[in-house]
Amino acid sequence: MIGFILKRLLVALPTLLAVLTIVFLFVRVAPGDPAMVILGDSASQEALEALRQQLGLNKPLWAQYVDFMLMVLSGDLGKSMLTSRPILQEVAEVLPYTVELTVASLTIGVVVGVPLGIVSAKQRNGWFDYFARVISLVGLSFPAFVSAVLMLLIFAIELRWFPVISSAALDDPEARLRALALPAFNLGLIMLAYVTRVTRSSMLGVMSEDYIRTARAKGVPGRMVVWRHALRNALIPVVTVVGLYLGVLIGNSVLTEIVFNRPGLGKLIVGALNQRDYTMLQGLMVIYAFIIVLCNLLTDMTYGLIDPRVKRQ
Amino acid sequence: MSEQAPVLDVQGLTTEFRVHGEWHAAVRGVSFQLARGETLAIVGESGCGKSITALSVMRLVPQGAGRIASGRVLLEGRDLVPLSEPEMEKVRGNRVSMIFQEPMTSLNPVLTVGFQVAESLHYHRGLGRAEARRTALALFDQVKIPSAARRFDDYPHQFSGGMRQRVMIAMALACNPAVLLADEPTTALDVTIQAQVLALLAEVREAYGMAMVFITHNLGVVASIADRVMVMYAGEVVETAPIDAVFARPTHPYTEALLRSIPRVDRNTTELQAIGGQVPAISNMPAGCRFADRCALVEPRCRVQSPPLTMLPDDPRHHVRCWVRGGETSVEALQ
Repeated sequence: MIGFILKRLLVALPTLLAVLTIVFLFVRVAPGDPAMVILGDSASQEALEALRQQLGLNKPLWAQYVDFMLMVLSGDLGKSMLTSRPILQEVAEVLPYTVELTVASLTIGVVVGVPLGIVSAKQRNGWFDYFARVISLVGLSFPAFVSAVLMLLIFAIELRWFPVISSAALDDPEARLRALALPAFNLGLIMLAYVTRVTRSSMLGVMSEDYIRTARAKGVPGRMVVWRHALRNALIPVVTVVGLYLGVLIGNSVLTEIVFNRPGLGKLIVGALNQRDYTMLQGLMVIYAFIIVLCNLLTDMTYGLIDPRVKRQ
Repeated sequence: MSEQAPVLDVQGLTTEFRVHGEWHAAVRGVSFQLARGETLAIVGESGCGKSITALSVMRLVPQGAGRIASGRVLLEGRDLVPLSEPEMEKVRGNRVSMIFQEPMTSLNPVLTVGFQVAESLHYHRGLGRAEARRTALALFDQVKIPSAARRFDDYPHQFSGGMRQRVMIAMALACNPAVLLADEPTTALDVTIQAQVLALLAEVREAYGMAMVFITHNLGVVASIADRVMVMYAGEVVETAPIDAVFARPTHPYTEALLRSIPRVDRNTTELQAIGGQVPAISNMPAGCRFADRCALVEPRCRVQSPPLTMLPDDPRHHVRCWVRGGETSVEALQ
């Protein structure tokens, strides 16, 4: 297993390098002169030149690239143009909020979605199956920001079960959980919809496999056929979908953070976009790239846990 | 149960499948008996109902799509047809086991082979982990899996087809069943491996004193292992006889054609003798004899009424369903 993880890490390295290069080029190629954006139209030519010098923008592209790579590799993402604080520090302050939101919605999606999909497959075309399919259709058809507004209206404003604005202090666990509930459920609903659908169809496929007939021919009780013989095989495509969807989840968390007014990476990135904080934007893109690569790595490792055929390759 | 009582007694089994909302019989009125230690070969082309017969005995006909419409399946004197699913789970893999055709897909890819063999010992014998492992290891040795102890915790994808079929056999033997149903267990294997697996099956049958139903489309395989042969065509039994009688005197035109279609190295023929035409569709069975359209001996009466299974006058153990070649005494009337 350790060899398998090391191999996967080795494969992840070139991916990261490629992503960093693209981020670098993306920011450099984007229209507009950062120096002029920062200082405004009325700035003098000397002041612009001085700032370019300071930011390293007058160096040739390859030199800027080398500077950028060295900076990232040394674990430094630079400072925000706006607040002049280190970007890593700004990220570290809000990262726990985004992580707790993502983990909570992922948990809701998997813990509810997988059993829902299994029961749905077992009672194919029964009333429960229709119910689960309607739920997942609803989850799939509502954009995250629409369901977020609806939830706020119903559960926060009408019923007053949860706070409208979700930024709670870190030191009050109960208030923090209450603040987390609606955003997490909002994001989790979409996850749940995907997971339910994939689990259902993959379970139906697996149940007609030859080895399920073998298990039944051995006299394995029906419940154990489902949980021990079918489920692990059926989970392989579910892991794929969850892994792919993690990226979407992080994207959707931006919208959710805005609607619920939660601190987090999403709010940071929107703020940086509004203020044209180039260095911050560049830093955040690197952070996102790292997160996605990490998610893929976790997905691959989960495959290794579920499917013995993966480890040997 | 007396010494003579059959371990497996199938009486008038009819299994139906739903095609376009209507139920059609895939197996119609099949009866056979199996004595202790006896091997019966069920022979016929694809779709003749031989696998469905075995799956019906196991009560593994896919629910919803198929059903046992009538008949009895007496295993050691007990009728399996009315049993509930939990009752049936106690019988499967315990008193009756089944081996399937495809060793590559019949083992669960995410569970170790050792676990898959030990599993039925746990459910049927209530053995603990260590004891089940010890018993399963002995089974591995018995089916001649080399370095069994080392390979016990391997996964199916690390095994070859022949080795996987040995695992399947070990699994089927685990609880010392009275009857073993082998559904084309060697068809998917290389010829040399086929011979080894066949020899192994014959050996464990002796060692365990099991009765065996051996399903195949290959009459050549049958000769070496079976005591009796039952030939099926389009869901019906068309001929049943002791193994020697089938080869010495194939009586039903279909059996005859089947035997002729075996390629032989000792005869100087240049082409294969195929049987012309096709098996009629399950939803479109003719009124008379089901083989009539492909039969060289067909007479007008064959197309009018379906022939009964009859006993040959000089051999009461040789039954044939044919107007032209059959005897006078109907077997069904006797039962």
